[in-house]
Amino acid sequence: MLDLENVSKSFGGLKVIDQVSFTVRAGSRTALIGPNGAGKTTVFNLISGAYAVDQGTIRLEGGDITALPARLRIRQGIARSFQNVRLMPHLSTLENVMLGEHWRSSPFALTRSRDAVRAAEAALADAGLGTYPGQVVSTLPYGIQKRIEVVRALAAGPRLLMLDEPAAGLNTAETTELRALLERASAQGITLLVVEHDMNFVRRLCDHVVVLNFGRKIFEGTPGAVHADPGVREAYLGAQAA
Amino acid sequence: MSGYVSGILAQLAINIVIAYSVFLPAAAGLLNLGAAGFVLIGGYVAGALTLKAGVPLFVAIPLAGLAAGLVAFLVSFPILRTRGVYMVLATFAFAEIVGGVLINIPALGGAAGLSVTAYAGLPVVFSVTVLVVAFVSWLLATRFGLAMRAVHDDENVALLFGVNLRLTQVFAFTIGGALGGIGGALLVHQFNFIDVQTTGVMFSIFVLLYVLMGGTQTAWGPVAGALFFTLAPEGLRRAADLAPALKFLESSRYIVFGVAVVLVMMWRPEGLVTRTLVDRIRRA
Amino acid sequence: MQTLQQIVNGLMLGAILSFVAVAFTLTIGMLNFLNFTIPALFMVAGMTLWALASSGGHMFGFGMHWLPAALLGITVAVAGSLVVERFTYRFMKAKYGDATEHALPLVSSLGFVIVFEHLVITLWGTEPQRVTLPFAETDLRVAGLVVGVPQLVSLALAFVLVALLSALLSRTRLGRALRAIAENPDAATLMGIEVNRIVPVVFLITGALSAIAGILYAASYRTVSPFVGDAVAADAIAGMVLGGLGNVWGAIVGGLFVGMVKVLAISWFGAEIEKIPVWGLLLAILVFRPTGLFGHSKIGKGKF
Repeated sequence: MLDLENVSKSFGGLKVIDQVSFTVRAGSRTALIGPNGAGKTTVFNLISGAYAVDQGTIRLEGGDITALPARLRIRQGIARSFQNVRLMPHLSTLENVMLGEHWRSSPFALTRSRDAVRAAEAALADAGLGTYPGQVVSTLPYGIQKRIEVVRALAAGPRLLMLDEPAAGLNTAETTELRALLERASAQGITLLVVEHDMNFVRRLCDHVVVLNFGRKIFEGTPGAVHADPGVREAYLGAQAA
Repeated sequence: MSGYVSGILAQLAINIVIAYSVFLPAAAGLLNLGAAGFVLIGGYVAGALTLKAGVPLFVAIPLAGLAAGLVAFLVSFPILRTRGVYMVLATFAFAEIVGGVLINIPALGGAAGLSVTAYAGLPVVFSVTVLVVAFVSWLLATRFGLAMRAVHDDENVALLFGVNLRLTQVFAFTIGGALGGIGGALLVHQFNFIDVQTTGVMFSIFVLLYVLMGGTQTAWGPVAGALFFTLAPEGLRRAADLAPALKFLESSRYIVFGVAVVLVMMWRPEGLVTRTLVDRIRRA
Repeated sequence: MQTLQQIVNGLMLGAILSFVAVAFTLTIGMLNFLNFTIPALFMVAGMTLWALASSGGHMFGFGMHWLPAALLGITVAVAGSLVVERFTYRFMKAKYGDATEHALPLVSSLGFVIVFEHLVITLWGTEPQRVTLPFAETDLRVAGLVVGVPQLVSLALAFVLVALLSALLSRTRLGRALRAIAENPDAATLMGIEVNRIVPVVFLITGALSAIAGILYAASYRTVSPFVGDAVAADAIAGMVLGGLGNVWGAIVGGLFVGMVKVLAISWFGAEIEKIPVWGLLLAILVFRPTGLFGHSKIGKGKF
């Protein structure tokens, strides 16, 4: 459903993404992995529209979205979470979640309406976060904030859910809950694209893996095959270990 | 109610309305150091209408708001192209230009100011203020209010969730301007006078300061700020009357305000009234 | 001839404005902080000079000689500047790590402006005061033009001081440290620069510049009032923006230019219209070319 074709991006003189092409099939759970600095978050920013591509095309369900302004991409069904939690610090949990569905609600509807509140509370409860609705998010623990971000992205009703290191900083119990939540989302037909360093998490959740290194794609395949690939091992462990 | 008390209350109500005119853009992340500009526009338009065209108050006040709102809308486009300190300066420049233009219109009194005869007493001022407070509370409770506060916290993420940044800011700025105009209309008819000199640089600075002191997270912040700014000097003046030794309190009331600003910015920079405070009160 | 005289008058005013513009631009360039207390310190220095040395002042019952009075005025202003540093910039930095992303120092500085202005009002009232000093009354006549001695001194001093400042910034260790802090305060700390000891130097320099300007103004125009800072603030800020935020030489050019525009506008159109050309110009620059004539776009990048 998502195709990147020969996408390149430079900052100043530095080529951060170099002719990257890969496909995320509809309904799949794809992981985007690679060592630090490989360009994974940059790819996310290109897909969400925060950065503009220098070369190449991005297609969503066949349609070319390369030049589409960032603000309109959520209407195409792209929602994301962030590596460093970027909730609105002065808004409550509920309000942050409601921001997710902002694009398809009417501007003068009251956020205090019973339906809106119930829907947001239900979404939070579904993720095991039911006890924090009214609290201002800046006072909440990091692990909770990270999961609220996922709920916010889900509230947008996306077709493609992009998560940037959703499990980072979570303990085992939280990670299991997160995985369960994502599996439920996937079962409802939402395509997942996840950047992660936690290989266990990737292996248990994802059915497809894309590996980046120094801005280039070095491997694309199943989680099982990733380990065997010498190129990947070299990227992570250094030339000697491969 | 004595004339003195009703005067103070009317002043308080007007300060609340003007506070909201700066609060709305501030809640969307825009610092406005040009409150005086919109107050002047509203005051002069309303004053001219009642004085020269015999328009009744209840028509002049909304028209003044409309005029100020229209100017705010037009000016928002260039001003919103600026950011941060540049925006502060741009709004400041705007207010100075408004003053500079008005002072050169002899028909409206020129440098001597505009005197009007129509009077807006406490009942009128109070009712308008209540309407304004209700309106702003409603606005903040809508999805648009949510968008405003999202833009304030994180413009880039708000954008990714579909918020129309430019539209939200234009709207916040325009309505803020309109409220400033209404405040000005009330002001000119409560004091029967308005001039550029007293509604100038220090006026804009004071308004911005007490709005920020009150807090920009909730609709109650501006009320708190206006309360402090209006009543504290009066409180100090009364305290000074209590004993001759405390006489200095009266003349130093602005010094106290200035010190209070510095202290609040040091110890409670998000303002006196915050989200967490309001939540705690609501839960209690 | 009349126009030439006005241009000269404008340059004289502009010289004084450029001191203040340089102070503003230095603070914004180094610390990303629009310090509204600068014009207030300008006023305080001038008022102190009047209070101590001028007839009509004589605060302690006698008239001090103008030189120690001027030095005292500068000292008072610099002391004020250091107080502002302690309770705005340094405090914010200690509490929030990066003072430059916040509006707080700007807002705090506004609070200080109110304190300084009203301290002065409490001491000496709101009326403008006439400044009478021995040397201030002399005018030079050069080629049919009238030039006040203090004003000529202002012009010369402006160039000298800024040349010194420029040399300081580019050739001394202190200057290098200041520029490093301007680039990136955190990296500067990592490099061993004691930010907490050097930032006050900026406040000291800008306080001194504002104070010297205030004294020259009082001597040149023979009047002071608690509100003289407000009038100068607007023009100095315009000069700073015109020259580009953070650019010291640009601030001089900007200050001179604004001085000329102002004087010429008043002489052609009358005093009441003066605000419009200055502020119209400023607004246009802010919107269309915020970096001014010579500035960098990096300045003002932090929110406030």
